[in-house]
Amino acid sequence: MGEASETGGAEAHENEGALDAGEAARLLAQTQRQAQRDLDFRSPLLSLVAAVVVLVGFGIVWLSVRGQHPYTGPTAASLVVLYALIAIRIGTVISAQSRAGAGVSGRSVRLRRAEGAAAAAALLAVYVLMAALVNQGNRHPAFYWVYGVAATLIALGAVWAGRSAVREDWQDLAISVAVMLIAAGSALAGPRGMWLSDGIGCCVVLLANAGALALLPGSPATGR
Amino acid sequence: MTADALDPLIHVPARLQIMATLAALPTGDQLSFTRLQDMIGLTPGNLITHLRKLEDAGYLTTEKTGSGPASRTSVALTSQGRAALDLYTATLRTLLNGL
Repeated sequence: MGEASETGGAEAHENEGALDAGEAARLLAQTQRQAQRDLDFRSPLLSLVAAVVVLVGFGIVWLSVRGQHPYTGPTAASLVVLYALIAIRIGTVISAQSRAGAGVSGRSVRLRRAEGAAAAAALLAVYVLMAALVNQGNRHPAFYWVYGVAATLIALGAVWAGRSAVREDWQDLAISVAVMLIAAGSALAGPRGMWLSDGIGCCVVLLANAGALALLPGSPATGR
Repeated sequence: MTADALDPLIHVPARLQIMATLAALPTGDQLSFTRLQDMIGLTPGNLITHLRKLEDAGYLTTEKTGSGPASRTSVALTSQGRAALDLYTATLRTLLNGL
């Protein structure tokens, strides 16, 4: 400690104002609240953005397939909108994570890299399996869209559930499990209804998460 | 019980803020000197003085990596520091309940 690059050679001096117990308690609570807000990337706004992304993205794809007889799959235009919205969502998460994680190093950073690798491996496995099934003759668009969407959500939900369990983050664990159940249940609605069911189901879960982050004690937004 | 029962090393505004901020990190994580300074709003010299006192008491560790302008100092709370802050918080609660 004491390197010139960080201290600027400034003369250190004491700043020890007297505190009574009430002032100390207020300062402690305020600092804890602020630190939790600054260091945790999750926020009600981020969850709200995710809720809008799934509802609008999946909703637009549903509008493009709901009248199809026979089923040919989502139109290119609807997929462009969906992928653009997903890119926006990924961008907002990366931006929030890098802001919150600036200057932080150690165990949680290593854990996050391992979680990223696990998510990438899970997605790769989903698509390799899908390619193998298509190669064996399952070429109907209904098959690979239902399988592709459900398996992607289940794989991502499982990785996030594992992450949440390790960190004892029960709120995120509940959300991950809910997303997996919605994905599996929506597959029962078929290649058209699946998009609407996934969109509404995930939107409701994410809105509930935004509300919990904004109101519940111990959440990053309240820090209580 | 009086305010004298509170750990005098922590019972100073700047050091209380440093301890509470570092305690918000998960165990095993460190925070860079510059980020800690941004979060608390102390001058570098003032922050260093308080960090040295807390480090001498075994409440935190500092680790310097690199050299020259690219050097980086990271700060982390020790288990002893966490225990001291927990005790401070419990004592504070007892004091306030007694009022």
